[in-house]
Amino acid sequence: MSKGMIYKFIFILFLISLSVILILPTVGSKQMEVTFLEKAQVSDIEYVESRFAASGYDVVKEGNIVTIKGSNLTDAIMNEINILPGVENVGMLPHWVEETFLAKKISLGLDLQGGMHLVLQANFEGIQEKLGRELTEKDRNEITQQALELLRNRIDKFGVSEPSIRPRGNEAIEIQLPGVKDPEGVKNAIGTTGSLEYRIVDDKYTQLATQLFNEKYSKTDVPADEALQLQFARSLGKEIGLPDNMEILFFYNRDNETGNIFADYPMALEREISLEGTDIQEAVVDRDEYGQIIVMFRTTAEGAAKFARATSEPNHGKRLAIVLDKKVRNAPSIRETIASGSGNISGGFTYDEAITLARVIKEGALPVDLRIIEERTVGPSLGQDSIESGVKAGLIGLIGVMCFMLLYYKAAGIIANLGLALNIVFMLALLSLLGFTLTLPGIAGFILTVGMAVDANVIIFERIKEELKKGKSIRMAIISGYDRAFWTVFDANLTTLIAAFILSQFGTGPIKGFAVTLFIGILTSMFTALYVTRFIYEIISLNKKIKKLYI
Amino acid sequence: MERTIDFLKYKYIAFVFSFILLCVFIIGTVARGGMVYGIDFAGGTKIIAAFKDPSVNEGAIREALSAYSPTVQQIGEAEKNEYIITFKLITSGEDDTVSGAELEKQSRIKADLNSKFPGMVIESEENVGPAIGAFLKKSAIKLFLIALILMTLYLTFRFEFKYSMGTMGALVHDVTLCLAFCGFAGVEISIPVVAALLTIFGYSVNDTIVIFDRIRENTQVKSREIFSEVVNKSLTQSLSRTLLTSLTTLFAVMSLYLLGGDVLNDFALVLLFGIFIGTYSTVYLASPILIGWEKLKSR
Repeated sequence: MSKGMIYKFIFILFLISLSVILILPTVGSKQMEVTFLEKAQVSDIEYVESRFAASGYDVVKEGNIVTIKGSNLTDAIMNEINILPGVENVGMLPHWVEETFLAKKISLGLDLQGGMHLVLQANFEGIQEKLGRELTEKDRNEITQQALELLRNRIDKFGVSEPSIRPRGNEAIEIQLPGVKDPEGVKNAIGTTGSLEYRIVDDKYTQLATQLFNEKYSKTDVPADEALQLQFARSLGKEIGLPDNMEILFFYNRDNETGNIFADYPMALEREISLEGTDIQEAVVDRDEYGQIIVMFRTTAEGAAKFARATSEPNHGKRLAIVLDKKVRNAPSIRETIASGSGNISGGFTYDEAITLARVIKEGALPVDLRIIEERTVGPSLGQDSIESGVKAGLIGLIGVMCFMLLYYKAAGIIANLGLALNIVFMLALLSLLGFTLTLPGIAGFILTVGMAVDANVIIFERIKEELKKGKSIRMAIISGYDRAFWTVFDANLTTLIAAFILSQFGTGPIKGFAVTLFIGILTSMFTALYVTRFIYEIISLNKKIKKLYI
Repeated sequence: MERTIDFLKYKYIAFVFSFILLCVFIIGTVARGGMVYGIDFAGGTKIIAAFKDPSVNEGAIREALSAYSPTVQQIGEAEKNEYIITFKLITSGEDDTVSGAELEKQSRIKADLNSKFPGMVIESEENVGPAIGAFLKKSAIKLFLIALILMTLYLTFRFEFKYSMGTMGALVHDVTLCLAFCGFAGVEISIPVVAALLTIFGYSVNDTIVIFDRIRENTQVKSREIFSEVVNKSLTQSLSRTLLTSLTTLFAVMSLYLLGGDVLNDFALVLLFGIFIGTYSTVYLASPILIGWEKLKSR
């Protein structure tokens, strides 16, 4: 072997082992940690233990924490356990590969793990009536974005971890809630419009509360449930001796990666509402004379007087909290009295932060009500059935293809099958790396790819056969076979890639899953055929003793 | 040298065969009352429910929900007593509007089902409003057109324009026949079926390209042979690849069709037909179109 070939060999081995490691979190066993409340009943804990022990999971109990180990744990199961009595918190423990390599795992789509999928649209007609004019496309887009902000604000009301909320096109919003048991509750939470109010912040007590919070608790201790959170806030207030005319609420920050918001620190607010959301008429993002990004707003005629009072002399230097659905979303400082009814908020925002703030303010001015235009709910048992039949179909298909290749190509079939197996490993690794969500159509794409992945090898083998027939030596036949087949494989696969890419643009989630698996499958099959199996042949052709190539 | 099979000889038979097949499918579709759209496109409700009471059957469900005139179909193993119940919104008028009464029905069907069969477990439920369908139809057509243009451009860039004519001709043939097949076989046009059609799109081109690639190579080497002979030779040389790849893909799709479960059944069926038709058009139609275009130009 030459030096170059040894490097190649090492490179291929490296890729294979990396891929295998990346797949581990997906196919290996997962761990879920269930933390019980101090006051949880023994029967509550036993119920959870027997729920899992009965279906073949490893269950370990340590104090009030129960750890469950198994390969079928999903977000849906997590959410199912989360609402049981006595359970304080449920979380998936990250696999060591996820921690060291920052890799993700393939998660299951709602059609496979069960859950609820909703598509919502703002009631444009209602808004049109209120505004008294036709909505432009830009208006609709903006209203949808505002509704999206509102939904993010009440994500916790769905009682679900790992929810996904994202825009679909310009005029609709897609929500995915794994393992939801109570669709009606979710629909009610979505159906109500937001309540927005402006209240003065007390800095002294805010500081005390934050200090106490930082000493005794962490951000994850803040309960997601609204009633529990208010209770938690009240107990904080009691400890710092908060006066009766004040109330603790949590300041929410935004996770830039997911767009979801989380409770950051407690804030003491006056109970008296300085301004209602409806007192402000409009809010837009602009720049001031120094080029800084600001949010400009204009109050209504009534609002102007209230605003002048709220920003009067004694309040200068204090902060005015903007509270949406009992969550503080921003708290700008009052610098001067604003009596004209229009002013601006500055504070070194990024453009995204400013536009979010403007949307929150607008939600008070023009509440958007949402309606459900599409709803899909899948029970967990149907999902499990789908996985089983999908995996069965995939395996049978794979075995069929492999047997055929062996029968037809004999020894070369072994190489093609090796390529096929490697292709599946590479494919899973890439999909894991992308944090792909596997849906039923995704499984179909996977199975289809198994059938199509051998194509590149077939093209190459047929070419080598022809070269051999022409009387070339084994070594020359392999080299020219691969060289000539290269562009054929490339062109043929590129057109399929175009189709898969376009398919991935087709609206709905599940089909995207199909297109992505197809796309990745074609890419990896090209790589395995043109690089990996070629390398195997190059090694074989080095052996001068081989007189006949079984192909 | 191996014998060259004269594929081009059959081109008129192939044209007539495709034409007759299309006519049969269209007549069959019309006889069935036109294309059937699934709830993804038409709007409506689809419920998969299991009934504990073994006396419940398709007829009983249909009768209990007669006000909605749903389609009811049993799925899965018999002892599970599982059914798909589909209610589609009926559109009226030219602009596909749905009356308020229809929407009212959609919101009531689940409650009605629940009250009539108390021992029922809903395993999945889909509600699609009327607004989605029109949007999806538009985007599906748009994507087909974009895919068509992109591929023509790519092929013109990599090959010559005449090759992209041959490929696109075979492609349009395949997709049209598959669509007509859906109507003929009563396959509902749903999102997975559209995905199958787009996959056939890619598959058909992939199949044809390999042969055209060979034709191009052979024309470069021996320019003395007449074009149709080169085509026949290339088809013969590529034949084993065409059949092999179709076969392995067929294995995969066949196992998907037989074992993949009810949800993917339509998807796999359309794909199955598409692979047959795609392979046939690759061998018998794409090349004659290529030659026809060449002759038309040289005239």
